[in-house]
Amino acid sequence: MIATAIQQLLNAAQLGAVYALIALGYTMVYGTIRLINFAHGDIFMLGGFVGFLLVSVIPGLPVAVMIPLAMFITAMIGVMIERVAYRKLRNAQRMSLVITALGVGIFLENLVRILVGPQARQIPAQLPNKVLKLGGGVVITEDKILVILISLALMVILWVFVNRTLIGTAMRAVADNRDAVQLMGVNLNLIIATTFAVGSALAAAGGIFFGQAYSIDPYMGIDLGWKAFIAAVIGGIGSIEGAVIGSFLLAGVEVLTVAYLSSNLKNGIAFGLLIILLLIRPNGIMGRAELKKV
Amino acid sequence: MNMADQQGKTLVRFRNIAIATILVATLVQFLGNVGLFNNYYLHILTVIGINIILVASLNLVNGYLGEFALGHAGFMAVGAYVAALIALKIPLPALVRLPLSLLGGVVAAGVIGYLVGRVTFKTVGDYLAIITLGFNMIIVNAIQNIDYLGGPRGLTAIPKGTNLVTVAVCTVITYWILRNLVDSVYGRMWLCIRENAIAGELIGIDVNKVKNLAFTIAAAFAGLAGGLYAQYQQFITPKSFDYLKTTDILVMLYLGGMGSLSGSILGVVAYTVLMELLRNVLGMVAPQLADLRMLISPLILVLIMLTRQYGLMGNREWRWLLPDRKQAEGGDA
Repeated sequence: MIATAIQQLLNAAQLGAVYALIALGYTMVYGTIRLINFAHGDIFMLGGFVGFLLVSVIPGLPVAVMIPLAMFITAMIGVMIERVAYRKLRNAQRMSLVITALGVGIFLENLVRILVGPQARQIPAQLPNKVLKLGGGVVITEDKILVILISLALMVILWVFVNRTLIGTAMRAVADNRDAVQLMGVNLNLIIATTFAVGSALAAAGGIFFGQAYSIDPYMGIDLGWKAFIAAVIGGIGSIEGAVIGSFLLAGVEVLTVAYLSSNLKNGIAFGLLIILLLIRPNGIMGRAELKKV
Repeated sequence: MNMADQQGKTLVRFRNIAIATILVATLVQFLGNVGLFNNYYLHILTVIGINIILVASLNLVNGYLGEFALGHAGFMAVGAYVAALIALKIPLPALVRLPLSLLGGVVAAGVIGYLVGRVTFKTVGDYLAIITLGFNMIIVNAIQNIDYLGGPRGLTAIPKGTNLVTVAVCTVITYWILRNLVDSVYGRMWLCIRENAIAGELIGIDVNKVKNLAFTIAAAFAGLAGGLYAQYQQFITPKSFDYLKTTDILVMLYLGGMGSLSGSILGVVAYTVLMELLRNVLGMVAPQLADLRMLISPLILVLIMLTRQYGLMGNREWRWLLPDRKQAEGGDA
């Protein structure tokens, strides 16, 4: 009984780590340009496929090179999308930007489907995956531990980057007051591009981990993207700590639903949780209320 | 010569267009039945009609009210399932079955829409978008888990009740109601809330109530479209009403234009015709190219947003869709 519970919590931690890697991109982009980047889930998918292609094209590529390389390529794609589709609309009415993001997302899904085909694929195991027995019947594979640890490390690096570096400070300043920041001589385009690059890179890592643990297909970004977005909103969108907390919370609820209720109810419960939480705390767990100025 | 006289004399008036639409639809359906009109075109016309109802009703919320609701397909699902159940389970003569099932779909979708709206309009903006999407997913998820509704397999063998004539009549009724609504005092309140909700509140508009009215009406019409769709296709599955369907509706809405009933017609017709043309033209060049249209449709959406933010007809109307000024002036006096 307790062993199953622990086993489920480990599964939740792995899923939560992937959610968090995606949710961080949502929350950072929202923080800087107030955009729900509907295409972000598809960037996560793209990251998984970039990793898959790297492994297939260059056999024997060490995983320590493959992951950073895929993260870099995906980051460049993220920056390019911002440059081509979003930049011009930055000062337009907000919904145009959201709709554009929606369009970009559908475009990416169909592009990948046409290029690689609709079938699900698994990224061949790159991480060591020996099964470890933890006693009491609880088992965990090495890659699961690695995924959780690498994700946590990436989150810590991100936290240091945003809170302790000059460019991170500029990012937070942009989130706070975009106009004032420009008056201070900060290069707004550079900061926003960096935000997209960092968000996309994290999503790519998530995509690769997900593709190793489960499988990747062109439409996986929709489902997982929404889940990660819910996680970001539950945590309080715009807050990095909130995104991480929300991700693990959502993953926990989901895994427990599947384990003890029914796997069919997974999505319904995830959204139900979101709606209830938003009604109680409209700005999420870690979010601050925005003042409405007349 | 003033506007009112011009409106009185021209043939291009709402009533005439409405009558012409129904007559043409009847003729085309008849020709289709006797094999003189291509059934593929007949099918496209019917789908266009159903989609116009969907898009125009969503326009109330996303265009006139200026909110960003993302769950329209969910209400369509409610309408489709309720109408299908009525048509399947209650033995009725065909002539009664169709209106009754459609009415059931409309009422059910409207009630659900009202309840969802009560919860939803506690939030605005991005959160509203997410919550409506959440309800879309919950509705689909719930249907998938109810065995009585066929679960993921859906409902089949629904009696055929819808053809082009029914769709045309329903579209005309929808437009008649929407056109008057948009020009009513409620329409003005929606525009006011869109432009400045706080100012609206200050002049005494019960913002949440008026917003929910638009949402409920939009949901009810989505239910109508769902009911028509169910009895046209004769089978429905929860999957046909998921997030992708909502996206489709959104693309047509924003292509046509926000806050414009003319735009909703133009958007649906332009999008549907373009997609079918691309399918046929690309398919003629090489069958595997036909898939490319799935790339072209999102590209169109992005390009429209980059070049024409408010869509093709944003906030403008064809004259016959404007209210009859003579009547309005008479009413004021």
